[in-house]
Amino acid sequence: MTSLIAGEFRKLFTTRLWLWLLVGAMGLTALYTSLLIGFSEDPDTMTAPLHSPEGQRTLFAVASGGANTLVAVLAAIGITGEFRHKTATATFLATPRRGQVVAAKLATYALVGAAYGVACLFVVTAIAMPWLATKGIEVGLLDNGLPGTYAGVIADVAIFGLLGVGLGALLRNQVATVVGLLVYRFVAEPILTGIPALDSWTTYLPGSASAALTQVSLTTQEYLRAWEGGLVLAGYGLLFAGAGALFSMRRDIT
Amino acid sequence: MSVYIGPAIEAAGLNKTFGDVKAVDDLTFSVERGTITGFLGPNGAGKTTTLRMLLGLVAPDGGSATIGGRRYVDLPEPGKVVGAALEATGFHPARSGLSHLRVYCTVSGYPLARADEVLDDVGLGPAKRRAVGGYSLGMRQRLALAAALLGDPEVLILDEPANGLDPEGIVWMRRFLRRYADSGRTVLVSSHVLTEMQQLVDQVVILRRGRLVRQGSLAELSSGPPWALVKTPEVERLLAALGEGVADLRVERLAPDALRIELAAAHIGRVAVDARVELHELTPGRDDLEQAFFELTTEHESEREPA
Ligand SMILES: Nc1ncnc2c1ncn2[C@@H]1O[C@H](COP(=O)(O)OP(=O)(O)O)[C@@H](O)[C@H]1O
Ligand SMILES: [Mg+2]
Repeated sequence: MTSLIAGEFRKLFTTRLWLWLLVGAMGLTALYTSLLIGFSEDPDTMTAPLHSPEGQRTLFAVASGGANTLVAVLAAIGITGEFRHKTATATFLATPRRGQVVAAKLATYALVGAAYGVACLFVVTAIAMPWLATKGIEVGLLDNGLPGTYAGVIADVAIFGLLGVGLGALLRNQVATVVGLLVYRFVAEPILTGIPALDSWTTYLPGSASAALTQVSLTTQEYLRAWEGGLVLAGYGLLFAGAGALFSMRRDIT
Repeated sequence: MSVYIGPAIEAAGLNKTFGDVKAVDDLTFSVERGTITGFLGPNGAGKTTTLRMLLGLVAPDGGSATIGGRRYVDLPEPGKVVGAALEATGFHPARSGLSHLRVYCTVSGYPLARADEVLDDVGLGPAKRRAVGGYSLGMRQRLALAAALLGDPEVLILDEPANGLDPEGIVWMRRFLRRYADSGRTVLVSSHVLTEMQQLVDQVVILRRGRLVRQGSLAELSSGPPWALVKTPEVERLLAALGEGVADLRVERLAPDALRIELAAAHIGRVAVDARVELHELTPGRDDLEQAFFELTTEHESEREPA
């Protein structure tokens, strides 16, 4: 299995997509961080003040929002690309037990997701520390429950890697998977979670489970506990991947 | 460990239907070790589908396919047993040929230097660091062949390897495969063009509309008696030597020193050497073979499916 994972990393690093999406995730994180700090003194802001522990946790948690969707997209492209570019033939010739290929991709993109999460946490730190210092706010990086937020962010982005692999394994079609992911994350889910009457079940949607995992709330919605959110989110990823490995990955490669 | 001594490749009762197309229909054949076997048939005959079933990429509706006595998925190190270059194998356009092969070296546990070796073997050394998106069709065929060679396998399965190669490339490919088989290994190579193959293969498996129409040696394929073109300054001595023990030798005189003789070229050659007759040319007849292939693979009126 380690050689399969090493092979997946080799595939990833021999094209440039990972780099562009990493730049994108870091840029998005920088944007979210700047908006949050920039509007922190706005009277209408929903976030807690940045000198409070809760406010600081919210600030660092934006790293997950910056990275998670793009990691899911990277992972989805990583698996659907095998079909789009017809490298599936070579891949399944080398590893005829196709479930092993799915498992190797799950492990690979979870690791990649964790690394993206770490990179985006550095972006928040690099922007927030000097900026907040000018406002007279000292951030203790190991205080105010921040280590728990870092763990939540890293776990969240890693699990989005699983989600992307799982959905891609299930759908196999690259355009459908990537468009589906983006439309769901940026259109469908915000609409659904914006309807208070649906709260009792929208808390189980991936986006809400993700927010639960990082324990950050920018809406009035009630979230699951962190570990529950992590389980729900990982459940989606593994469910898709399992169904994909059982059904669509078994289909003929012609 | 027991040693498997059966045929290199065996297909038994293979079936595959796509929608309402019967792509492969109760197909049984085997490929002996150490041979180059041509897998022949017109486009759409079911060659690619059959090869993909042999390799575990397409699931047969029925029947079995084994390589070295085992199903492909059951081979612990498949790349060391069989290497395959299939039609419609893809490459990521942004990845270089070298990077592509290194991925599969890593996955299969071969040293990375193996990728450079096989790229040199197929003559892609100078282009190996370029993105595959810029490769010609012929270069992609060579890269696919290089990938098949990575594990230094006992059996090579090649699907229409001559497609996209220029005439020089085809000659190169033939030499390459001949050398490969001469080292005792097995090659199964598909083609829809008999002429690409007839100078190369020992055995043929001929397919039409998913069914086996003929399996055997190339010589057995030609329907008429064998013949050869001979040029010799000693026509009468040759005929005398050939005529011994032959009831009615059929000879056509094409020129004062050129004959069309209805005997196998190998036989004529042997007799000429024994009788110390000087030969300037000895060419086995070919057109019967093409005719036979054409007849075997062309649809007959009575077989056409009712509309
Ligand atoms: N994935 C597929 N879906 C539907 N039909 C297919 C598919 N693959 C092959 N076929 C059909 O099966 C038949 C055999 O095709 P193929 O094995 O590619 O033949 P060959 O390689 O001899 O040209 C053809 O009629 C082809 O159209
Ligand atoms: Mg074909």
